[in-house]
Amino acid sequence: MGVLEHKFQDNIVVEKLDKLLGWARSTSPWYFQFGLACCAIEMMATAASRHDLERIGMMPRSSPRQADIMIVAGTVTMKMALRVKKLYEQMADPKYVIAMGSCATSGGPYWQHGYHVLKGVDLVVPVDVYVPGCPPRPEALIEGLLKLQEKIQKQRPLTKIDS
Amino acid sequence: MIDDRDKLIAEAVEKGLQGDMDTINGIEDRVIRSKAKAALHKAKKVAKESGTGIEDSKEETASPVDENQSPNQIVFAYLEKKIPGSVIVQEGDLEECIYVNPSSWEAVSKLLRNDEILQFDSLQCITGIDIGEGILESRYNFHSMSLRHTIEIRIPVSIDNPKIYSIEQIWRIGDWFEREVYDMVGIIFEGHRNLKRMLLPDDWEGFPLRKDYETQQTYHGIAIPKVKEEWE
Repeated sequence: MGVLEHKFQDNIVVEKLDKLLGWARSTSPWYFQFGLACCAIEMMATAASRHDLERIGMMPRSSPRQADIMIVAGTVTMKMALRVKKLYEQMADPKYVIAMGSCATSGGPYWQHGYHVLKGVDLVVPVDVYVPGCPPRPEALIEGLLKLQEKIQKQRPLTKIDS
Repeated sequence: MIDDRDKLIAEAVEKGLQGDMDTINGIEDRVIRSKAKAALHKAKKVAKESGTGIEDSKEETASPVDENQSPNQIVFAYLEKKIPGSVIVQEGDLEECIYVNPSSWEAVSKLLRNDEILQFDSLQCITGIDIGEGILESRYNFHSMSLRHTIEIRIPVSIDNPKIYSIEQIWRIGDWFEREVYDMVGIIFEGHRNLKRMLLPDDWEGFPLRKDYETQQTYHGIAIPKVKEEWE
């Protein structure tokens, strides 16, 4: 605080409530610890000390009830697809989904012959950000998360929509 | 007491050298029995090295350990001798595998596990294969930890009635192996106590590793596209 310390009588911030909510939501999006394949290794590396997701306010939660973001990291099989959907439904609003890697985006290497692989997780849950790569590097995932933060900040949850 | 024991062992070894193993196996005390077996083994070795006298019993000549033949050839001959008609003679040599008749697999598998000179105590893998022309095959890799020999057994069955005796209760590891083969190829293992799908969901249709497999179009309302042009 340095130069500003003890210089004011009362602390007042003037801001639109919509924008304040967006700011609050975007700066601490806890993500669901949910790895399916090799992408999960990169997700773990992103959360570990070198890339350190907690510096942008993100920490992994092991329960869907406590999470805001679901990072679908890896190959989603048909058997898992039903579970992914169920987990998504268990998350509390507002909730966001990141499809990480080519498997979660489109089926990836299993596009042609993988009879058992879901061709993109967007077939079962709505996806906000797609992160390409096989697997994407931690920088790419962080880029995706920053894009998601931008998206959250632009949302106006309280504004009346004219129909 | 000790004299008694030594005497008992000496007697048993004497009988054993004449080919009568029942005396040794009939000894009740476990320690004495194992000592007698060790003494018998030593006596046989001495007799062999000196080249005199006592011939090894027939079973001993069939032992895979001290022969130049491959384990497959020896076990093939042994099975043919013990259970006639259990093995299927195939073209070429026995370098790779032994084909076993599915109807006698129950007896053969128990023999492989329990026989004194086979002792296949480790089932390493079961592979299910659709080799085409209406034949499914279940392939078993056996290893003996105690005698250090390895064989491969193959059992062909018709695709119309793919039933094989389950060895799940003989080698416990066979439980999951057989479930996986059932999951992928659709061979039904008779007598398996929990024969359901291993990897795929329970309500999946068809067996994916069969040659004539057709992927289902939807799964719980999720499309599995077969023609993908319009998706791209």
